[in-house]
Amino acid sequence: MKLDFHKNHRLLYGTILGVFLALSGIIAVAPALWVQANNHPLPGTRPLTAEEALGLQVYLSEGCVYCHTQQVRPIAQDTSRYGRASAPGDYARLGPTDLWRQTPSVLGTERTGPDLAAIGDRQPSGIWQHIHLYQPRAVVAASIMPSFPWLYEVRSEAGPNDVVVPVPAPHAPAEGVVVAGPRARALVAYLLALRQAPLTGGEETGGEEAARPGAGVGR
Amino acid sequence: MHNQDAMEPHSPAGRPLTVAKARVDEIIDGDRRLTWLIYAYLVTATAWLLFGTLVGEYLGLKFARPDLGVAPWLSFGRLRPVHTNVVFWGWTSLSMIGLALWVVPRTSQRGLHSLRMAWISLGLMNVAVLAGVAQLLVGVTNGAGEFREFIWPVMGLFAGGLVLLGYNLYRTIARRGTEEIYISNWYILAAFIMTSVLVTIAYLPWIQHGLGDTVIQGYYMHQGVGQWFTPMVLGLTYYFLPKLLNKPIYSYSLGVLAFWTQVVFYTMIGTHHFVFSPTPWILQTVAIVFSVGMLVPVVAGTGNFLLTMSGSWRTISRSYSLPFIVVGVVTYFVGSTQGTFEAFRSLNRTWHFTDFTVGHAHLTMYGFVVFLIWGGIYGLLPRLTGREPPQLMVGMHFWLALVGLLVYVGALSIGGTLRGLSWMSGVDFMDSVRLMESYWLGRAVGGTLMFLSHLTFAWNLWTMRPGGAAGGARWSEMGVPGVSAHAPAGGAT
Repeated sequence: MKLDFHKNHRLLYGTILGVFLALSGIIAVAPALWVQANNHPLPGTRPLTAEEALGLQVYLSEGCVYCHTQQVRPIAQDTSRYGRASAPGDYARLGPTDLWRQTPSVLGTERTGPDLAAIGDRQPSGIWQHIHLYQPRAVVAASIMPSFPWLYEVRSEAGPNDVVVPVPAPHAPAEGVVVAGPRARALVAYLLALRQAPLTGGEETGGEEAARPGAGVGR
Repeated sequence: MHNQDAMEPHSPAGRPLTVAKARVDEIIDGDRRLTWLIYAYLVTATAWLLFGTLVGEYLGLKFARPDLGVAPWLSFGRLRPVHTNVVFWGWTSLSMIGLALWVVPRTSQRGLHSLRMAWISLGLMNVAVLAGVAQLLVGVTNGAGEFREFIWPVMGLFAGGLVLLGYNLYRTIARRGTEEIYISNWYILAAFIMTSVLVTIAYLPWIQHGLGDTVIQGYYMHQGVGQWFTPMVLGLTYYFLPKLLNKPIYSYSLGVLAFWTQVVFYTMIGTHHFVFSPTPWILQTVAIVFSVGMLVPVVAGTGNFLLTMSGSWRTISRSYSLPFIVVGVVTYFVGSTQGTFEAFRSLNRTWHFTDFTVGHAHLTMYGFVVFLIWGGIYGLLPRLTGREPPQLMVGMHFWLALVGLLVYVGALSIGGTLRGLSWMSGVDFMDSVRLMESYWLGRAVGGTLMFLSHLTFAWNLWTMRPGGAAGGARWSEMGVPGVSAHAPAGGAT
């Protein structure tokens, strides 16, 4: 066999496969294993509860990640709005969901709406979150976020354990009360759990300032 | 060039409405079964194009009217991955594979190894996209990583079709009737090899804990574009451009240089989608450095194509397929260079997370990849079937798509830049939403023109359907001119 890429197909395509496998190992598999080897949750944090974990699944299936990031970059425009810069430990508890579904990719690549890495610190009102999910324009007039009424039920009367959502008049249904369904309750539980554990011992955290309730939330 | 006026539409005044374009003067008397196979790939691809871009159009309108259609399966978050996956795996993948099923056997001077296998691949890939759409509409996602939303049983079907095609084409090339492997086949089969590896690694469960998933996602979402679509359409262009110009490619060696630098440099730059993220800083720096390195294959590739075109502008202006290829080549250069600049930390600060990225994605996937595919389809199908599309309709397709794209990308690039500057200035976030309103509207206008061009294209595809009485001269050789190894060898199907 001639050692000529132009004439030896085994050599040509074998080389392409070999080079690509080797480079993939260097640039993807090895770094992934490397960051995994040093993957510890931050002190003072806890795993998601069952309800919050369901909320994360609602977050994924409704595609929130396509417009909201969960990564605060170490640059002023981010830390002044959204909290301290994200650290690897913030994502340490994420892993494959089940046999069928992989790890939630929550970091995101677009910020059509604001970052949510610390939304639980910034907007801790569950009722505000419910109204906003039922109809964003009821609380933020210029918002272009989709409304999610199918996560809610309209009942003639609320039961004792129901979460009633006080939707303002023009957006409320003509009759009955809006009650959060189980998936809405899970989603809001997840959003409120999105808080940043403080990083101690560094100037660069900027956590306290940016964690003001409401800071950076569009209203 | 005969009888140019016969098919020309005339204005009432009697003057031609369009510039006369050359009609194809060669009809290939090839294997009709292969023609039907290719046409089936192109038809299913085009069905996905219409569906996927209708969804895209609807999503664009939602930026102006967020409550336009309120239902789970009509919501932005579910339809956005439907749009991206359908145009990726449905339209673009199937259409370029359809063209590759012509180019690989033809430049190898051998019939396709197995027509049956190629039909099975077509079925597997269409079922995968169909199942993936259904899965996303009911709210099931793999993990919402871009282009990785199909769960593994669904993506496994697609990968099965991909590997089977790779094997099919490899067997064809292995039994080639020429001594040398033509450069198109370097690119095309490399795309199959790299994408098969890529999809496998992306779905391995052991490397996705914590930020490991982000490292893999950067690697995957980047190369899902650049090691699949890019080498495929470059390989196709190394066939169609010299063939349609009837002259050799300017430099074969430049094509080889561009090939190896593409394989090596492009693989290293996935993490540039996560600049300033908490992934290791060194990975981000490596990605940025190799993003600059990408200028080598991009300049070599576009230079090679442009120097091939040089001196043949009259042929190009008289062709209805070559203008698509010119746009594709120019956009390859502009879009890829833009990608390099977006990777720089200084510019990434402004552009990252804004609609500038969406503009870039459309400039490259649409202006570069899809325009080259259209050039190939208009260059090949009439010669296979003996049926030409009405020139007015091809012209409408071209201009609607081009103007639509420019409006789309222009609006999002300007709006995205302003939005990034708004974020840096520290004003309220909602100010940056309000400032985008007119640019989002501009995007919807551009998108509408693009969608109209797709309707025109679908009609043209119908007019080029097989089954007509193929007449005229035989396109008796594949002859990429000037490449001795590919002189007509006879007996090729």
